Amino acid sequence: MIASMPIVGVTLRGLLGRRRTLLMILLVALPVLIALLVRLADSRMDVDRILDAMLVRTVLPLVALVLGTAALGSELEDGTAVYLIIKPVPRWRIVGAKMLVAAGLTVALVVPSALLTGLLIAGTGPALDTTVGFAVAAAVGGSAYACAFVGLSTFTSRALVIGLAYTMIWEGVLAGLLEGTRFLSIRQATLGIAGGLSGQPVEQGSLDPGLSLVIVVVAVVAAFVLGSIRLARFEIRGAD
Amino acid sequence: MTGQRPSTEPLPGWPGVPVPSVSPEGVLAVDHVARWFGNVVAVNDISFGLGPGLTGLLGPNGAGKSTLLHLLAGLLEPSAGSVWIDGQRAWGNPRTYRRLGLVPEREAVHDYLTGREFVLLNARLQGLADIDAAVARAIAVVDLQGAADRAIGTYSKGMRQRIKLAGALVHDPPILLLDEPFNGMDPRQRLHMMDLLRTMAAAGRTILFSSHILEEVERLADSVLVIYAGRLAAWGDFRSIRRLMTDRPHTFTVRSSDDRRLAAALLADPSVFGAELTDGLLSVRTSDFGAFTHAVPRIARSESISLFELRPTDDSLESVFSYLVRR
Repeated sequence: MIASMPIVGVTLRGLLGRRRTLLMILLVALPVLIALLVRLADSRMDVDRILDAMLVRTVLPLVALVLGTAALGSELEDGTAVYLIIKPVPRWRIVGAKMLVAAGLTVALVVPSALLTGLLIAGTGPALDTTVGFAVAAAVGGSAYACAFVGLSTFTSRALVIGLAYTMIWEGVLAGLLEGTRFLSIRQATLGIAGGLSGQPVEQGSLDPGLSLVIVVVAVVAAFVLGSIRLARFEIRGAD
Repeated sequence: MTGQRPSTEPLPGWPGVPVPSVSPEGVLAVDHVARWFGNVVAVNDISFGLGPGLTGLLGPNGAGKSTLLHLLAGLLEPSAGSVWIDGQRAWGNPRTYRRLGLVPEREAVHDYLTGREFVLLNARLQGLADIDAAVARAIAVVDLQGAADRAIGTYSKGMRQRIKLAGALVHDPPILLLDEPFNGMDPRQRLHMMDLLRTMAAAGRTILFSSHILEEVERLADSVLVIYAGRLAAWGDFRSIRRLMTDRPHTFTVRSSDDRRLAAALLADPSVFGAELTDGLLSVRTSDFGAFTHAVPRIARSESISLFELRPTDDSLESVFSYLVRR
């Protein structure tokens, strides 16, 4: 862990550039702003509906996608990763540190957003369990997304586009139509965990919370192992 | 992945240059290495060995210099053959990076870090004991103390090259690989870098630097590897290769007050082995550049012929390299 700290530090500095940070803050502020408008208009909305639609389906995968693909992928793309690679450091440490930072930042951004949104919509009454359940599920699901996208970025320079297609087409369309594909969906696993923690399934046919946790763990481990193997054989071409 | 070559075993099939038997520090060994990308052969069956000293890797752009350096640095897997760093396989063996420093050609460095932070990052990743002293020493070596606390994003090209060198030097490696280190440097920075490399080589390091500029290599390197179209065209002591380059057949075009008479007179000189007068243009072929350039004015004067123009027709670096490959 200590040996990975320099990589954690430089990745944090790289990811927290002014423009990207501002974009991420605006993104996670969106559900909070909508909740605030709902609150001011004195409308009634189910807290699980708004957290499902605004956070789990939209903001969470986007934040994890931007951070996950930038953590290592942008360095591999612009060539600065060479300074990490030409060091006597096992490649799994590099991948692990990148995943730690991408997942940590995703959690730090989406959890406050989930809590504030839930509290503004439903307050601290009986719906508090749902709010906390979604916040925890967002932390777990966000980490899984971020790790998966870090792993993906070691395989392709188009990780952002492929990740977007995965969240929008695979998870957004196919998982709704074909029930079998839900086992390969981090979003469905996130909703399964949220349902389990809040005491009632978010939607009909939701995944079992235990199975959801297994899916998340498998996604993280697979991304870590495959990403490490890939980085260990990663080639950097010269100028000619 | 990691292989250990026995220290007493000589490397097979190496021409010419003596290779230190592979156990001493700072030894690079390349054994029948080839690398291709799809149908393109970037490096073609190259073998050589390098010990301490300053070696230039010379070749025109696109010759395969960067690919070879990346193979040496373990950043590319050889399609055939193997690369050894101090007796350990370079590819897939991050431990060799304790013994190796690399200054890549690409300019990209973490722009948001200061120079000092960048060198510190390199030192930490090397797991050095006295980090602060190592960082201060590396920054002093490249003479960047004044700008060390500025963000690299504000650096000039030459300063970037120097901070990259400081990062590569911070763990005091016995082997240093530099890809076009003089690119973007002004003359003063270039001289400073040359002095630096000479000093480091004199201290016993194995330094290999690539360049497409003959004069740079000539001024700096004790020995040279000439690479052209992915092949090792020549290698060894720089002076003997320089002689090969100079003594190769040259063709000159000559314009004078009487080309026909001059051609006849030149053909009598031993340095000339051919002359042609086509479309009023005299071309003369010589095998001895130095003797010929001295002979022409002498012969012209003795024949009372005025020389208007004497121009080598094939003096590009490209033609020098292609001649060396054909030999």
